[in-house]
Formats: sequence, C-alpha cells, structure tokens
Amino acid sequence: MIARLTFHFFRAMFDFGILSEAGADSFRHMMLGAVGGVIAFGFLVTRILVGRYQMLAALPTAAPYHRALLGDDMLMIGLPMLLVAFVTLLVSQSLFPDERDFRILGPLPVARSTVFATKLAGLLLFTGLVIVIAHASLVPWLLVSSANHWLDHSVLLRIIGWAVASVSASLFAVFAVAALVGVSRLTLSRAHLHALDALTRSGLFAALVLCIPLVYQIAAVTSFLLTGSLWLVLVPPAWFVGLQRTLVGSTTPVLFRLAVMAVGSLVAVASITVGVYLLLFRHFERLVLQPVNRSDTTDLDMATRTISIRRTIASNSSWATPAFRAIAAFTMTTFVRSQLHQSVLVGLSVFGLGIAFNSILGASPRSLARAPYWTPFAFMFASGLAMRSSLVLPLQHRANWIFKVTEDEATRRDQFRAVDWLVTAWVAGVPAVWALLVWWLATGGPSPIAALVVALIGLVSVHAVLSDWRRIPFTCSYLPGKRFIFYSLTVGILALGAFAAIGAGLVRGAQSSSTSAIVIVAVLSGAAWMLRRRRLTMWSRAPLMFEDEFPDQPLRLEL
Amino acid sequence: MSSPARVDGLALSEHSEPKGPERAQRVEGFEARGLTKRYGAFLALDHVDFQIRRREILGYLGPNGSGKSTTVNTVVGLIEPSAGSLWLDGRHMLEDPVAYKRRIGYVPEEPHLYTHMTAVEYLTLIGRLRGLTESVLIEKVPAFLQLLSLWDSRYTTMAAYSKGMRQRVLLAAALLHNPDLLVLDEPFSGLDVPAGLLFRTLLRLFASEGHMVLFSTHRFDMVEQLCSRVVILSAGRIVAEHDVASLRDPQSPSLEDVFVRSTGQEDFTPLARKILTLVQQT
Repeated sequence: MIARLTFHFFRAMFDFGILSEAGADSFRHMMLGAVGGVIAFGFLVTRILVGRYQMLAALPTAAPYHRALLGDDMLMIGLPMLLVAFVTLLVSQSLFPDERDFRILGPLPVARSTVFATKLAGLLLFTGLVIVIAHASLVPWLLVSSANHWLDHSVLLRIIGWAVASVSASLFAVFAVAALVGVSRLTLSRAHLHALDALTRSGLFAALVLCIPLVYQIAAVTSFLLTGSLWLVLVPPAWFVGLQRTLVGSTTPVLFRLAVMAVGSLVAVASITVGVYLLLFRHFERLVLQPVNRSDTTDLDMATRTISIRRTIASNSSWATPAFRAIAAFTMTTFVRSQLHQSVLVGLSVFGLGIAFNSILGASPRSLARAPYWTPFAFMFASGLAMRSSLVLPLQHRANWIFKVTEDEATRRDQFRAVDWLVTAWVAGVPAVWALLVWWLATGGPSPIAALVVALIGLVSVHAVLSDWRRIPFTCSYLPGKRFIFYSLTVGILALGAFAAIGAGLVRGAQSSSTSAIVIVAVLSGAAWMLRRRRLTMWSRAPLMFEDEFPDQPLRLEL
Repeated sequence: MSSPARVDGLALSEHSEPKGPERAQRVEGFEARGLTKRYGAFLALDHVDFQIRRREILGYLGPNGSGKSTTVNTVVGLIEPSAGSLWLDGRHMLEDPVAYKRRIGYVPEEPHLYTHMTAVEYLTLIGRLRGLTESVLIEKVPAFLQLLSLWDSRYTTMAAYSKGMRQRVLLAAALLHNPDLLVLDEPFSGLDVPAGLLFRTLLRLFASEGHMVLFSTHRFDMVEQLCSRVVILSAGRIVAEHDVASLRDPQSPSLEDVFVRSTGQEDFTPLARKILTLVQQT
C-alpha cells in the first residue's frame, strides 16, 4: 500500500493537468528531443573543458588551476541547485497533501499518517530523481577538472566531497522552496489563498529566473571567495562550496564559516518543511478543509454587499463593449489567479530583465553607455515571448464550451481587440517605461524620444506576437514541441540579437537629429497603424480556434 | 481546420438551407429534421427528427451511448451535424447561426466551468459574451446569486464549490439572457432535494411562460414529473415518441415498460445474479 501510494504521488508530479492526451504525447517528444540536444551539447562542453584543463596543467604555477577549479566548483554546485529549485517550484502544487487527496483517499481505508508519509516520500523520490540526473550529467566535467597534477587531494576524495556538498545544496533548494510554499499556505488569508499563493510562487519563479543570467557572473563571486567578501552570505552556492572544501580538508576560515552556514541553513529549511507537514497533519480539517465563509467575517448589510458586487461587475472600463470587457476581465483574472500562467508571463519577461542586469553588472564604462539603447529591446523580446507563451497555455480545456456556444462574428473583433490591448500594454508599454527609467539612470534625465521609439517599435512588435492569433486566451488545446527545441533556441537567440541591434540603431538614429527623429517616428507609427488594421480585419473574418494543430508542412531548416 | 463551407462552427452539410415550400411548412417552435452525425464509420445519430412546441418540456430519454449528448451538442452548436437541419420558429439555423445561438441556453451534463473565477465573475463573463449590458448584469447577477443560495459563497472561487453549487451557477448562466430554448443535459445530478424541487418548479414555470425546454436525461421519474412529451433514443435513432400524460393512465404501459421494450433492453436478472455471485466470492 505504502509503495503504491508513494508511486501514485510520484506520478502525479508529472501531471500538470493542462495538456490533452495529444499535448502530453507531444510534450514527451519535445523533452526527448531536448535531452538529446543536451547530451550533444554536453559532449561539446566536455571537449572544450578538456582543452582548458590541459592548458592549465601545462602552466608553471598551481594558482590559475585552483582559481579555475573554484569557479567550476561553484558552477557544478550552483547549476543543479537552480535546476532542482525550478523543478520543485514547477510541482509545488503537489508538495503538500491537499483537499483533493483528502477527498479521494479519505473514504479509503488509509490512515492519514500514511497519506502524509507517502506524499513526502513521493516528493523526495521525484526530487531525488532530478538530483541524480542533474549530478550524473556533471560527472564528466568533474572528472575532467579533477584529472590534473595540480590537484592537492585525491580524485576520490574530491568526488565524494562534491557529491555530498552538491546533493546537500540541491536538498537545500528543495526544502527552501517547500518551506516557502508551505509557510505561505499556512499563513496567507484563506479567502485570498488562491491569488496570494499564485503571487508567492510567481515571485519565487521570477527570482529563480533572474538568477539564470547571473550564472555568468560566477567569476566575480569566485574572487569574493578568495577575498572573503560579505556578499557571499547572499550566494547560497558559495556556502556549499565552503562545505565541499571543508570536507576535502582544503579549507580557510572564510570557507569554514560558509560551510557552517550551509549546514545550518539546510537544517533550518528542512525543519521548517517538516514542521509544515506536521502542522498540516495535526490541523488538516481547520487549515485545509474548513470552508471560507466571508459572510461570517464581514458585517455588511445586504445593500452594501450588493453595491460591492456591482462595483466588481462595473470595475472594468465602461467605454468598452461587453465582448471587449468579457475577454479583458477573463484574461486579467486568469493572470492574477493562475500560478502557471502568471509564472510563465512573469518568469520569461524577467529573463529579459536578467539579461539586462547581467550586462550591467561588472560592465566597462563603454558597454554601460550602450545598455540604455538595447536593454529595453531585450526586455521587449522576452516580454513578447512570455505573453504569447502564457496566452497559448490552456486553462481548463473542457470549460471552453461557453466560448463556442457564444461565438459571434459581430463581436469577435472586439474580443480579439481586448487581447490586442493587453499584449500592447505588456509588449510596448512596459518596455517604454523601462526605457524612460534606464535613460534616467544612465544620463541623469529621461529621454522622451528614446521612450517614444521604444513604444512604437513595441507597437510594431505586437504584430509579431499576434500575427496568426485566432484564440480566446487559454481556451485552445496546446501541442508543445512543434519545432525542435534547439532549432527554436538558435533562431530565438539570433532574432533577439538582430531585434536589439535594429532597435538600438533606430533609437540612436532618432536621437541624432530632429529630422531623422520625425522620419523614424512617422515610419514606425505608420507601420504600427497598418499592421494593427490588418490584424483587426483578419480577426473579424477568421473563426475562433479551439484545437491546436501541428503544421501541415514539415519544418524547413533553411540552412 | 474549418472548411470554406463552415459558418460559425456549423456545417453547410448534405441538407443545406431549404427554400420555398419546404421552408413555409415549418411551424413555430424548435424542430430537428434528419439530424445525422457520423464519426468515421460510426453513426452516432441516424436521421433524428423531433419538435418542441412553445410551452413544452420535451423529455429526451435513452440509455448511455444512445446519442443523447450528441443531439444536445448539435442543438447548442458545439458540434457540426454531418447532415440534417435545425429550425427555430421557422428559421433555419444557418440563416443566422449567431442569432440562433443567442436564443439558446444550455446546462451541460458535467459542470465544466472556469473554477478559478468566482460565481459573480463567471456570470458576468457569460452575460457579456451574450451581449448583455452592464446595467442588466448589475441587476441580474446579484439577484441570481441570492435566489439560488450562492450569495454567501460569492467571494469564493468555484474551485471550492460542490457539484450542486456549480450546477446552480450553470443554470443561472443558461437563464441569464432569457433564452427561448433551454437545453438541459442531466441537470439534476449533484443537486440536493430542495434545489431539485426548485429547479423542477422553475422549469415548469419557465415553459409555461412560452419558452421551450429540451430535457435530456435517463431518469424516468424526472421525465414523468416534468415533461409533456418524451422521445426515446436508441443506437442513434428515435425508437419511440409518447405523450407523457397518456403514460400516466394505469391502463397503459409505464414509461419504463415503453423504454425497455423500445430500446430492446434485456432482462437484467441473470446479469445481476452473476454480479452478486462475483461480489460474494472470497
């Protein structure tokens, strides 16, 4: 029974609940393709590392090798940590027993302690699998970096030290995410739990995404390790590098302090997680099952309550048509309450910010001066991708019948206009504000012309985001992996480079003279107006799409 | 992908829009004529004909897999018929599919709704999609919530609602725009006794005001209590059509007898015995 329940909870971790059978099949194919790509990329990286460590072995002193080793150890501990934290956050809806588990398992002859124990076991099994895969993929790197005559301890000791420290670091990531999610679940107001829980998880997701581009700054952290900077307190992988060095016996007072921090923080987050499990176990009825009855807590008379409902209904802009308001309110409500959609939107958009911050941290004065030109476009590119990706993810596919039975040619254009408006605000509005801010920070004053050009390029870019759009957000089935993931990545990176270069060039051009500014603004305004008109015309003709399809033509690589 | 002949989710099929004399024969009310639906080689509906007159609740009865839900989905415009035509007050559905759909309210069998929304938000969404003005929604939505005992849960997202509460939300959503034809697919599942009684009374009054109700179910008691006529479906074909009042006559066969006979149901006693034997095996 225990083994079966544990396996049930383990399998549930893979169920995101949004994909149809065809979508899940497509997702599996996409993941297999991604694994193949990672293996191929791993061979390439190993080859580069072999050359690098051969070069370090040939040097007359050990210092460069030790410095490189410290940086690589930081990466070899930090990368699995980040991956494991992401995966744990992705399955965070299944971290603790919930009402669904109780409703399904409650009537069965299963003790509640068994449900809790097997849920925790399922979580550990799942994260353990991810930890093993992440670490196994790093073994070639570890061996290449260890097989060097400058290494001051045995290779076996190094492997054991790294395995203990890195697995501890990954467990820290698991427990830290579980503790944060658990504590937020216990402490947040139950009346708003859904929205606040989603916001908490999206905040965590955004923080993790922001860390990805910062991985490139690991060399700077390595120098902190050598100098014993206080900043190390903010870099969890550094704590576990301290633990690794302490375990292999090559420690310093700085590294030892970090090792103590590592052990202490791991014990702390593990204790909090276990504490949350225990609290939920003892007070499950009160904390999870007891219905929220707002009427018990608010002392409003019926008339006041009716007014509050009236405000809810009339809260959206009253100038728009009912169809516009319907879709705008539906989309906004979903972004506020659906953790998945919010995470994709915020997380991918923040990735653009991360690229920008990464380029600013430790940059030379010259490259710092270039940042205001291109960073709004990196952010815009990521925001467009984020918005599109989140809008295509289905929510509750079987609930979309209401949009089918109310589909109306006369109002379809208004429904799409609501989507257009939201995408425009995110893809053109937010980067324009970012441009104003970044120019103000860089030059001490805002640059309205730069912000205007950024906004207009954003308006043109909306067309790229919505060019073939025929859906009500979140209502169409989704088939991931229509293109090979590494092809998409390559095309995306090239497109990002080209887009940022063209955008930066147009901002420079607009700032160079009044005439060129007028010409650029006029051309961009005209292009944005024409493209929007074209979209709206197409939308008034095209029927809504509720079933995603694979392209009917094979992909041409066009190499 | 939609074919060029597709109009707003509905197919211009073998039976395209009739003209002239055929059109003039149509009566007031709802009519399905020659409704056929094929899934590859499988014939889910085979030339189904029925009418619903004004002030009438038509029971649509059949065993599982007989084609009840396919009929309902076709009537509300969720799936395209392979052939046949639907008429509402003498107007072919394809004349103006949007106007047709505006006059229909629908309560599906399973309460599939967006559970991340509150009932207020969901009903407002539906009202706007149906083209209702804000002033109408402001009056109707809170009133529906109060009358259907959903007021105390108005701030709670529907994820926490029971099946009965969701059914009530769906009924409110179906009635919000005062439809001419209300299509109900097993609407009483999950409802408690008071809510069930309220629904029955409401449906009777709704029909008596000149509306039409298509009531798809497999519960004989509901059909006997609510409907004026019943159509029995088996293997995609209509096998019987009766006036329910005539079935109440003690001299006539009961609805259950008619159903068993017309759908060719076997005597279940041997099967029940086999199951009992299996249950008692240790």
